[in-house]
Amino acid sequence: MSTAGIEIGLERETPAGLETEEMTLNMGPQHPSTHGVLRFVVKADGEVMRRAIPDIGYLHRSIEKISEKVGYHGFMPYTDRVDYVSAMQCNQGWAMACEKLASIEVPRRGEYCRVIACELGRIASHLISVGTTGMDIGAFTPFTHALRERERINNLLEELCGARLTFNYMRIGGCAWDIPPGFVKRASEFVEQFEPLIDEYNELISFNKIYVERLANVAIVPAEMAIAWNLVGPNLRGSGVKYDVRKDVPYSVYPELEFDVPVGTGERGTLGDSYDRYMVRMNEMKESCRILRQALGGIPEGPVIAKVPRTFKPPPGEVYVRVEASRGDMGWFVVSDGTAFPARTHIRTGSFSAMAIIEELSKGLMIADLVAVIASLDIVAPEVDR
Amino acid sequence: MQQLADSLLQTGFLQGVPTEAGYALVIAFFAFVLLNFIMLIAGVTSWLERRVWARIQSRVGPNRVGPQGVIQWLADGIKNIMKEDIVPAEADRPLFKAAPYLAMMGFFATFAVIPFGDGLVVADLNVGVLYITAVTALVVVGILMAGWASNNKWALLGGIRSAAQIISYEIPAGIAVITVVLFTGSLSMQTIIRAQGWAPWDWFLFANPFLCIASFIFFVSALAEGNRTPFDLPEAESELVAGAFTEYSGLRNLLFFLVEWGNLYVIGALYTTMFLGGWQIPPITEQPVIQGVLQFATFFAKSYFLVFVAMWIRGTLPRVRVDQLMTLCWKYLVPITFANLIGAMIWFVLFPNGLAIMRFAMFALGVAVTIYFFSRILFHLRRARPRLRLNPIS
Amino acid sequence: MGYFNNIRETIRTIFEGMAITASHLVREPYTVQYPDRIDLPIQDTLPFRYRGLLDVDLEICTGCLACERACPIDCIVIEAEKNKQTKEMILRRFDIDLAKCMYCGLCSEPCPTGSIHHTPEFEGADYSLESMVRRFVKAPIPAYKPTKGPETDPEIAPLLTRGLRYLDEFASPGDSK
Repeated sequence: MSTAGIEIGLERETPAGLETEEMTLNMGPQHPSTHGVLRFVVKADGEVMRRAIPDIGYLHRSIEKISEKVGYHGFMPYTDRVDYVSAMQCNQGWAMACEKLASIEVPRRGEYCRVIACELGRIASHLISVGTTGMDIGAFTPFTHALRERERINNLLEELCGARLTFNYMRIGGCAWDIPPGFVKRASEFVEQFEPLIDEYNELISFNKIYVERLANVAIVPAEMAIAWNLVGPNLRGSGVKYDVRKDVPYSVYPELEFDVPVGTGERGTLGDSYDRYMVRMNEMKESCRILRQALGGIPEGPVIAKVPRTFKPPPGEVYVRVEASRGDMGWFVVSDGTAFPARTHIRTGSFSAMAIIEELSKGLMIADLVAVIASLDIVAPEVDR
Repeated sequence: MQQLADSLLQTGFLQGVPTEAGYALVIAFFAFVLLNFIMLIAGVTSWLERRVWARIQSRVGPNRVGPQGVIQWLADGIKNIMKEDIVPAEADRPLFKAAPYLAMMGFFATFAVIPFGDGLVVADLNVGVLYITAVTALVVVGILMAGWASNNKWALLGGIRSAAQIISYEIPAGIAVITVVLFTGSLSMQTIIRAQGWAPWDWFLFANPFLCIASFIFFVSALAEGNRTPFDLPEAESELVAGAFTEYSGLRNLLFFLVEWGNLYVIGALYTTMFLGGWQIPPITEQPVIQGVLQFATFFAKSYFLVFVAMWIRGTLPRVRVDQLMTLCWKYLVPITFANLIGAMIWFVLFPNGLAIMRFAMFALGVAVTIYFFSRILFHLRRARPRLRLNPIS
Repeated sequence: MGYFNNIRETIRTIFEGMAITASHLVREPYTVQYPDRIDLPIQDTLPFRYRGLLDVDLEICTGCLACERACPIDCIVIEAEKNKQTKEMILRRFDIDLAKCMYCGLCSEPCPTGSIHHTPEFEGADYSLESMVRRFVKAPIPAYKPTKGPETDPEIAPLLTRGLRYLDEFASPGDSK
């Protein structure tokens, strides 16, 4: 596939006469650092890869088809499984699609609950991402530190909705449960304690010279290439494109909240390298803390859910809604034929396009870089296959 | 040791036994004692590493077997011995089976010259340091053999990485050792220790700037030779699954890990010998036995402190990439050690007996760095403190 | 100059990282030993909304089949029939297949009395799939019939209070306090 004349990655040419036999390595599906069950067929010349061909489908659970059988209300717990690392935004995407189909207005308190839950979920998801980046590069400590903080978010979300991973928190028309007593205080406490920990995390690993050397100037995605390959979310912003669904296609109460969209700056290498993508996630966590502080301070009174009948039958039609999930622009396309079951659902996820670009990026990288690239693109296998 | 064997043959309970057989018996006895000793060291090191690592990561670590989990290594060892020893069908069987023992041999042989006390050394070879550099190279043969014989591409990559790495890092390590030898004029471990004093400012670490730089380079190179983080590329679990040891199971796998943890101790012991004054303590008692025990304890404490530092580094740093590993060695460590060696030579010509003021200045600098380090620790402790909250409802 | 800058930067960042990890050596560990090293049972530390294993209070089950309809994976099977003479519902079967259940909580939301509810129990490991099916009805029993006014039966009243409280705090959407 051509990318319109864009230079890709660092080409490490083997001097003439020193070529060796091409080696085919099978990386995955049970490899320790392929984040779930991904498989790459790596064509390598020693340590240098000629190309890494992704092989997807190991986690395909036909979630889109299931929606046609379980109806609008019943599909909500399945959306948790689309991207189980940031299930809240998937919940929100489905809920928003159904609300748009049936023109339901969500109460403002419900929207605030959603924003709080989603931003907590975003921090948790980014923590996993930056933690596993560290782990793939060989530093195990940042991973446990990240998971330790994620554990506190999980505790908060468990209070909010009773589960730690598959939340099933949102409903069509709002949220299932109101904020429990004391939650606001505990969540604010978390935000206050978490912000200095981001700085500590940065000093522990992000600014570490070895770490910078491993990520900077590796797998450079220029802005045009990122757009051409349909990258979204932090991967796109890492290439310097200031695009965030929360700002550009506003939904929920995000327009009322004040936050910045961090973009890659090429601070340690070239714009669009793995380090930029990584740092965008670090900075987004800070922005999420900012959003959380505002949202927790300004929750309006009122109900959290609109009146929605138990047998939900939206009028015929089709909608496409977009939410800014942790892995970028997540699109939900729902076709209704007037019955209680959707006629067709399609989910467009960020990891899928990130997965596609790996084959192009991997040319000339080393095998050790491949895991860094997978981690920096933040690929979550279930989101690729659905 | 030869004197001991001779005295045993003449007056001890070995009287009347043929000389060769007597020697063989004494050698076998010491080998047996040492083997058990290093098993203990490697085991305790593995437990300590897991505990230290766990605490760095806000975890608890193994704490169930024995008080504070201190005999966890024994349980793990028994488990590993009980496990099936799988040899892959397409593997090169003899090589596959021999590899762990070769690696084990290379590391075990180093203990022959490690001076635990004034007289407490199996053999004080006059080429001690050179001997260690030579025999540790056997480990790389073992790992390379394991990687090749496994008939697995990941293992092969790991083996080749290990070979490239250890061969490259022998150079800076060797030259750093030469810097020390320059000041002592001897390769014997005991002579190197005796050239230093018990006081910290008499250690080679603070003797002059060149030896200080050499000590850091030696430590980094030794970490690389021992396949420790940040140079654990041969077994890089996130890249090469388990590198050269991917196909090993049971006892053979255990032996490789024994080598890894034992090597950690060897690194500490070597560094202690060359830069931290070895077993040197002030003369406290007239009793040779008590003095000997104190010397042993001093040596042990110093070397375990370095083992702890290596664990701590493992808990902090990410892994370098294979080309960066080579860059670090050939573009940074090798030129710096050579420049350092030349500097040390000039220093030696100018001040053949050392410079007392420099010793104290270097020592003061070391203390200042340590104090600054502790102030940073306090700063980090104060800035961010994750709190444990068990009961979310309470 | 980049050469020496690299060395300086490497030493500085490693120094800083080592200080952070050393500071963690003296902090208390975060993990908790499961299950026996904390003062109270794990179940008591879970929030009220925790969605653990499903339980059914048959005494207050009305046999309305709302939960069976709500379940997206059909793990609840209820057989109820109307007794022709007495006009009351008889529950013949109430099975929950916990091996299938995904703990989504959709079944406990429409329940009018809070009969079906999540417990904070989560240790559900078992040796066979067969034993994961919880059969609540041992022998056919009449379903609960809501009374006008407060419940008076001393055996059922506390159950109903619990169920309604559960509904109030857990399963009633749109209730803001």
